[in-house]
Amino acid sequence: MAQSTLDGPTAARSTVKARKRVWPTLEAYLYLAPTLIGLLIFVFIPIFTSFQLSLNRIAPFGNQTRFVGLDNYVTLLTSADYWDTVRITFLFVLGTVPTGIALAVALAILLSYPVGRMAWFYRALIFVPVIISSAVTGVLFRWLYHPVVGYLSYWMVQLGIFENMQQAPNWLGSKEWALVAVIIATAWRQLGFNVIIALAGVQNIDESFYDAAKVDGAGILQRIRHITLPLLSPTLFFLLVINVIYSFQAFGEINILTQGGPGRATTTMVYSIFETAFVGTPQRGLASAQAYILAVMVISMSFINFATASRRVHYQ
Amino acid sequence: MAVQTRKAPRGFHIRFSDIAVNLLLILIGVAIAMPIIIAIFTSFKTPSQVITFPPSVLPKDWTLQNYVVAWNVNPFGRFLLNSTIQSGLITLAQVLFSVMAAYAFAILEFPGRNALFYLVIGSLMVPFELVFIPNYQLISALGWGDTYMGLTMPFLVSAFGVFLLRQFFLTVPKDFHDAARIDGCGNWRYLWTVLVPLSKGSIGAFAIFAFLSAWNQYLWPLIITSSVEMRTLQIGIRYFMSTLDRGADWGPVMAGAVIAILPALAVFLIAQKQLVRGIAMSGLKG
Repeated sequence: MAQSTLDGPTAARSTVKARKRVWPTLEAYLYLAPTLIGLLIFVFIPIFTSFQLSLNRIAPFGNQTRFVGLDNYVTLLTSADYWDTVRITFLFVLGTVPTGIALAVALAILLSYPVGRMAWFYRALIFVPVIISSAVTGVLFRWLYHPVVGYLSYWMVQLGIFENMQQAPNWLGSKEWALVAVIIATAWRQLGFNVIIALAGVQNIDESFYDAAKVDGAGILQRIRHITLPLLSPTLFFLLVINVIYSFQAFGEINILTQGGPGRATTTMVYSIFETAFVGTPQRGLASAQAYILAVMVISMSFINFATASRRVHYQ
Repeated sequence: MAVQTRKAPRGFHIRFSDIAVNLLLILIGVAIAMPIIIAIFTSFKTPSQVITFPPSVLPKDWTLQNYVVAWNVNPFGRFLLNSTIQSGLITLAQVLFSVMAAYAFAILEFPGRNALFYLVIGSLMVPFELVFIPNYQLISALGWGDTYMGLTMPFLVSAFGVFLLRQFFLTVPKDFHDAARIDGCGNWRYLWTVLVPLSKGSIGAFAIFAFLSAWNQYLWPLIITSSVEMRTLQIGIRYFMSTLDRGADWGPVMAGAVIAILPALAVFLIAQKQLVRGIAMSGLKG
């Protein structure tokens, strides 16, 4: 297009020049237009709308809004219920992240062992949770946690962890176990992704380190302890940050397994936002304030992740 | 000794640790995949077998009844159609728009390029929880609640896709572009006839990501759909399960779960290598 206008014999010299300058820029913006408009409408503007909402009290079932300044934030920060959701969120993160990463690294080391033709099969079995949705995960685990014919309790009894089915935990019905139950389900879904990242990290470690250690007579455990884990630290750090972010945002499993209950035993910060905004009497101003508090936490984690990304380049 | 064993014919080169690692891996692998394995087998059990104690993994008599119930009593066919339309539209749009934007950022020169690129990347840090209430209000105000428009609109563009494809476009030698320009080939034609065919692998990997994350979406379809006819599979199975409290069977629920898993599982089995490489390279789930 630009070429043909240049060839036009009747075109005045000045317009040609102007077009030559204007058209490439215009063309570039046309290529970008869908992405920029989409992000503007559904990401950038809502950042402000959300903050504006958080400064208002919105009458339920009506369009009446009243500016209340930082009242919503004050309400939250002085509410024992809200601090409880913060506490539960941190327990949830503590339950899912460290065990999830430890398990993923152990599996990655095992998978890096040359096992020959069956490797793809083992990998498929261990990676497969990565394609399962949070909703389906919730459904699958609700079945495993079934109070009468649940596989999990039954197998735990078989393994001698509990004496009989009556002694086995009431996974979703008791306040003590419900959080453990959603932690197990969420950590399971997250595992496939974690192993993939950990395995990539393990495979990037140069063989020569191991060969040198073997010559020095280091055993398997010593090699893991003194070579694999230190050289894996950038990957471990990345896994830590990304898992904390994902755990902060976990929603589907909780919604399907416990709906935040029993009581408020599994009401995390994200769940509380959903409940405040969409369940019962919607209070979208208050929910937006909660969303802002959560976003600040998640964005600071992302920021740490981006800021340290360059240091990982060697290993990833 | 070590030298001798290494020289032994292949078949004899079996060490104890090899067997141990293989056994361990198959045991752990089956344990991890167990929730899915149980769902698949449960979906083929008769109602009485589903709730027998002690629970067995394998069905005694196989039946397709659960799938018939899931398909007819609950409109799982309709849910499957909805999920396909929703995920298909999102994938197509994300690939198309990301290819275009990535081209501009990687190849074209224009004022504001770097600033805009950082803006696009920056949007990756914004958690969905921060924007979903305003988005819900906007979509509702436009009258798109409970429509395909409402399901797909907020997800038609992908900053992640732009980033991933730009990285790849940058590796294509600039000489190709210069040569094409000299031959009178415009940007649009160069993009679709030269660059895109060269980048099939990356674009394919991104399309898989886009599809899986759209297919597995939960929070947004949950709040934006209100009628049974508009539910996606993920939402359909959630409401189907809530009928269990009123005495429904687990068998059809598991059949529904298997229907919801199958397309993603097929993609995983066909494109495992690309998917795994993509996740490992980008560190993102899409």
